[in-house]
Amino acid sequence: MASVGFEHATRRYPGTARAAVHDLDLTVDDGEFLVVVGPSGCGKSTALRMVAGLEPVDSGRIRIGGRDVTDTDPKERDTAMVFQNYALYPHMTVAQNMGFALKIAKLPRAQIRDRVLAAARLLDLQPYLDRRPKDLSGGQRQRVAMGRAIVRQPQVFLMDEPLSNLDAKLRAQTRSELAALQRRLGTTTVYVTHDQAEALTMGDRVAVLRDGVLQQCASPRALYREPANVFVAGFIGSPAMNLLTLPIRDYSVAIGDWVVAVPRDISDTAAQVVVGIRPEHFELGSMGVEIEIDVVEELGADTYLYGRIITPDGAIDQHIVARAGWRDPPARGSRILVRADPDRLHFFATDGRCLRRSY
Amino acid sequence: MSGPTERVIKRSVVRAVALYAALIGMAWCALFPILWALSGSLKTEPGIAEPNLFPAHPQWSNYARVFSLMPFWRMLGNTVLYACCVTLGQVFFCSLAGYAFARLRFRGRDTLFVLYLATLMVPLTVTVIPQFILMRAFGWTDTPWAMIVPGLFGSAFGTYLMRQFFLTLPTDLEEAAVLDGCSPWQIYWRILLPHIRPAVMVLAVLTWVNVWNDFLWPLVMIQRRDIATLTLGLVWMQGQYVSRWPVLMAASILILLPLLGVYGFAQRAFVRGITLTGFGGR
Amino acid sequence: MTPDRRRARAGRMFVAPNLGALAVFMLFPLGFSLYMSFQKWDLFTPPKFVGVANFRTLFTADPLFLIALRNTAVFTVGTIVPTLLVSLAAAAILNRKAKAIGIFRAIIFVPLAVSSVVMAVVWQFVFNVDDGLLNTMLGWLGLGPVPWLIDPGWAMVSLCVVSVWKSVPFATVVLLAAMQGVPETLHEAATIDGASELRRFVSITVPLIRGALSFVVIISVINAFQAFDLVYVLTGGNGGPETGTYVLGIMLFQHAFAFLDFGYASALAWVMFAILLALTVLQLRFARRMSLEI
Repeated sequence: MASVGFEHATRRYPGTARAAVHDLDLTVDDGEFLVVVGPSGCGKSTALRMVAGLEPVDSGRIRIGGRDVTDTDPKERDTAMVFQNYALYPHMTVAQNMGFALKIAKLPRAQIRDRVLAAARLLDLQPYLDRRPKDLSGGQRQRVAMGRAIVRQPQVFLMDEPLSNLDAKLRAQTRSELAALQRRLGTTTVYVTHDQAEALTMGDRVAVLRDGVLQQCASPRALYREPANVFVAGFIGSPAMNLLTLPIRDYSVAIGDWVVAVPRDISDTAAQVVVGIRPEHFELGSMGVEIEIDVVEELGADTYLYGRIITPDGAIDQHIVARAGWRDPPARGSRILVRADPDRLHFFATDGRCLRRSY
Repeated sequence: MSGPTERVIKRSVVRAVALYAALIGMAWCALFPILWALSGSLKTEPGIAEPNLFPAHPQWSNYARVFSLMPFWRMLGNTVLYACCVTLGQVFFCSLAGYAFARLRFRGRDTLFVLYLATLMVPLTVTVIPQFILMRAFGWTDTPWAMIVPGLFGSAFGTYLMRQFFLTLPTDLEEAAVLDGCSPWQIYWRILLPHIRPAVMVLAVLTWVNVWNDFLWPLVMIQRRDIATLTLGLVWMQGQYVSRWPVLMAASILILLPLLGVYGFAQRAFVRGITLTGFGGR
Repeated sequence: MTPDRRRARAGRMFVAPNLGALAVFMLFPLGFSLYMSFQKWDLFTPPKFVGVANFRTLFTADPLFLIALRNTAVFTVGTIVPTLLVSLAAAAILNRKAKAIGIFRAIIFVPLAVSSVVMAVVWQFVFNVDDGLLNTMLGWLGLGPVPWLIDPGWAMVSLCVVSVWKSVPFATVVLLAAMQGVPETLHEAATIDGASELRRFVSITVPLIRGALSFVVIISVINAFQAFDLVYVLTGGNGGPETGTYVLGIMLFQHAFAFLDFGYASALAWVMFAILLALTVLQLRFARRMSLEI
């Protein structure tokens, strides 16, 4: 049983006003790949370090495999960590780096050698076993860091933005390799990143953190389709969801010329509402709100149009992002009409809560 | 249940106590000779062996006696004069040369610098005798010139220090000045000098302390009391008033005070100077 | 004149005073002392060329040379080994974030700033057989008074004690700076790998400060080998008691300024230089081999 549990875990750095991690309640199931994502400063690295034991817990508990490890030393927690800058021992060879922990655990030399070789084979590191970290490329170093974690055969893998120092192409490739590796090994993994695309593609579940508070923890699909609040809605998905704060009049809101009905239960209780529309749900056509296009981004398979809404009495500065097909997108400066299927709209209260999901 | 358990708290308290005990122990080892000297300076001669740190009747008169037994103010003045002259000269000429080695290209520059570095290895003992003979040839033995001139135009170490520092400065400052048509001297004097304050502080402090503490050279060069340095004066006094501990300790404390003052004031620069020479690491 | 030529000329002019001083006060003495080592000269009568006679006497007919050599070796080892051990421990203790650690660091580095001559006078007081602090403290513990500066063997011990006291802060500063250059994440990785604090120190910290360690050793050897100030003030200019503290530095000073035998003293100086050079090269070679192995 190697689940990981945060129980009302809080950590506040001395001298700061708000907690780095506040009352975090989260369980990672045995064998699950959980990604913790959020903007910088949201507390995701702190949360990870709390599991490792590198960060003290001010209140609450941390459990690994059901066992309360809040007061246990890092070296007794049976976790392995992959650091953002890999933290390889510069004076040791690759083989020595990977075998260091096993040597401390006083494993017999033959067993250490076997495990190191097995991990090296898994990660294509055999030709580099006798090299020092400074003679390796970034991608190779990253794999050594992974290898160092794998040979320990720990209960939990902890990864702190391990891909962020790789170039874009290598990152995409390593992403899928890493996910496949974890599936193969079946070890519970807590993975921290600031890149929401990484989070969506790798995790079984994704936990979104903001300012130390958990916003939502769900499968990538649920996060995308049913964001629990405005922050998650705007954070997940790229380009971000369009979020328009509009006053409710006559049980509807007006987006430019386009009038959208607001469900009764919402319009009865509030004067304003935040409407969320994903760029891909806009249809260009002869109906809807008029926008003037400022920027056209052609990405090959898709084209994104960035523009401003134009109301009957002049331009509002509300910005809209819409996705157009790759054939013959409209030109910059031109005006088009767009609308979205009312069933695809998200409604949020002005305090951020989700009020009505579209699907 | 929330918060660290009792066992964890107890463990961290024990560790803190052990740490501070070790720190206090080390601080005591570092300071006790000075404290003991201070306490000795306040005792009477027969009562010198009393194990108490602060005597019941502190004899401040011992300090007054120092002034009558050696020309303290004169020697202080001499030492300050030599230290100031050498420090100013070192800072100026070493920074000038350091700038040249770092930023101005001329033929033979790099081989010359290697020569500089090589001289750092030459031990004092080899150069003392010829320098003495040189001073004698110039007619400078037993004059302030012997104490000032050798160090005045800088040293290999000082130049090395300044060069390393100049290398860390961004080149845009200079490039803008060159575009504006400044001469190298103007660049050095107007543009770069304000930016090298940390390195200047370090070199100044190290040089000052070095001159203040120098013993072999004054010993060899100076016989006249009126141009002697404080360290020389103290050793003369030691030879003359052997075992008259209270007054010797009082003199020692008096000589230490300016140094401790400089140290307290420039402690960070001091440590940085040592570290820069150490450049330690992998 | 082109800007490049102007800069080159300025460069030469800027370096000139510095270089001049170096040539006069460093290079010339170097050459001159070598020249003198082949002469016999007492400063008043003209020098007389004697070939390698000085060196021959030094190596074959001067028992004091061997004594000085032995004493210097004992002093060097007796200074460096304790200095290294103590400063490693001190740097390890100081290398942490604790409250008021800055103040402790400032205090522990005080011996750096104080004059070794003044401290020698003070330590003379500490080592005094009848009234000194050490014997007084030993008396409290019921141990007999130690003839610190009276017995030749103990005099060497006293010398080493003061020398260690003076060198530890310097070594600690250098080692501490090097330790602070070791990234925190390496320690964290080692902790997660299961290493205790001691293990981390031995397997991670020490190998990564090899450069600083080697520097400290080399500088300490160079300083200890030439020791003069401390010895002169603590035990006098004769290397007493009974040649117990007769080191090479004292021997040099004696021959040059007491006996006025400048030729012989210069020969001695060059022999010291040669030994130092050999030691330094050996140490550098050793340090490089160590770094390749690890």
